[in-house]
Amino acid sequence: MSDSNIEIGDIHWLMDILQNIDVGLVVLDRNYNIQLWNGFMESHSGISPQNAKDQNLFALCPEIPRDWFVRKSEAVFQLKTRTFTIWEQRPYLFKFKNYRPITGRTATMYQNTSIIPLQSVTQDVDHICIIVYDVTDVAVNHEDARSANQSLLDLNSVDQLTELPNRIIWEQDVKREHARCTRSGNPSCVAIFDIDNLKDINAAHGHRIGDLVLKTVSDSLRQTMRQTDLPCRFGGDLFSVLLVDTNEHSAAEFAERIRNILQGLIVRHGDQAISITTSIGVAAFNSVFHNEHDWILAANKALLHAKQQGGNQTTLYHPSMKKG
Amino acid sequence: MSSVSLSEDQRDCYQELTNVAMGQAADRLARLLDAYVVLPVPKVNLIESSELHMAIQDAEADAAVSAVCQGFIGAGIAGEAMLLFNDTSFSDLATLMNYPGMNNPESLDREAELELLMDVSSLLIGACIQGIGEQLEIHFNQGHPVVLGQHCLAGDILKSGNHQWTKTLAIEIHYTLEHVNIDCDLLLLFTEDSVEKLNNVIDFLLD
Repeated sequence: MSDSNIEIGDIHWLMDILQNIDVGLVVLDRNYNIQLWNGFMESHSGISPQNAKDQNLFALCPEIPRDWFVRKSEAVFQLKTRTFTIWEQRPYLFKFKNYRPITGRTATMYQNTSIIPLQSVTQDVDHICIIVYDVTDVAVNHEDARSANQSLLDLNSVDQLTELPNRIIWEQDVKREHARCTRSGNPSCVAIFDIDNLKDINAAHGHRIGDLVLKTVSDSLRQTMRQTDLPCRFGGDLFSVLLVDTNEHSAAEFAERIRNILQGLIVRHGDQAISITTSIGVAAFNSVFHNEHDWILAANKALLHAKQQGGNQTTLYHPSMKKG
Repeated sequence: MSSVSLSEDQRDCYQELTNVAMGQAADRLARLLDAYVVLPVPKVNLIESSELHMAIQDAEADAAVSAVCQGFIGAGIAGEAMLLFNDTSFSDLATLMNYPGMNNPESLDREAELELLMDVSSLLIGACIQGIGEQLEIHFNQGHPVVLGQHCLAGDILKSGNHQWTKTLAIEIHYTLEHVNIDCDLLLLFTEDSVEKLNNVIDFLLD
């Protein structure tokens, strides 16, 4: 087309192509009045080229934010450079309804657009052309992939048996809380629980009963804690909770409450009735903890102390506690 | 597979071509932003596909970046342009661009940043590609820009391995603006089989 030896007869079929091509074409003059509106635009908008001709773009399509579009287009007019919009940035320029009842899964068509300068014979740019591409399928597939990735991520961050967050996720919470406490000086506590006799239960009744015990404990934990507390299946027979904005005294009360609840619990499976006891270590935030690991380690030391004292009790961390 | 090569004269010629093109691009950027754009000498190299990562990492070390890629093709010569944008540049850029609703650059959200990224990349990539095309008398068509990532490490932006080429022509341009904290890297990478055709055009210019 650049070798402008096009016969009049050729114009006819070139126009036919413009009408039938499956991309939208809109030509605008310097005042944003529509000079060309092709078949694609007509089909999706229901506005005929005759009705669109010489109408102002912003009057005909009020969904296009005027300031935003003018800012983009002025660069095309003045700098003679192309510009683009992509669906990630703005889902559509022209609001066209979804037209495919079976495979279209969005309310509106997603669009990529190119805005290109059209030079006149004097090399001035007094018209621009908007090319509209339907990218609904791309956008939908992209969203599908993103949500699939998200559910994989969720699967990776939750313990499947108890449906509690796993340690990797929880440690990030503790890390954030450590930073927050360091800054604000607010009290928060970490509590770690150990089921004293899970090994024996597994040995005597099998792992399926052990799993049932773990599920029962996690359910009780969820029911007892406040909404702001962050629980975790720490691993094996260990559970933990981050008690946000809670001082040592309240944390100890919470620990004793859950210990008593678990002690009174009887896990039934067929004709077997199993009771459990727990040991709990609690560590209040202390500015001597350099990071979240120090903090969790302190709670672990308190837990170890509770176990060494015979189990079925709560111990508060004290700096004099040595590891092992 | 034909081996890609580059003579000293050809390299100088590419460098000169790019100098002119990026000058035009910088001029447009300067007009848009009303700021002085510092122009360095573009780096013209043949790189192996295994070095692509290094070229990018070299450009931005381990800073958090956002990146946009855009393909171009014309007269059988094709390639892709990538703009790597240092994340610390956004707030200054928003101020310079004087975006409505962005009076507080601190509160730039992801969408506003994407908007900025698209505008600057359209401008820089478009002007540079056109500038090179005009000198070679090639009309390059540009594809739609693709966002490779926002706020990620430069090293993570490209999926490693499996490139369908072994050695090709790369042009790197590092743009900075005076007095403001804005820097970005533009990397032009031609397809392997474009290089020979491009070299022929260049040789014609050199004669």
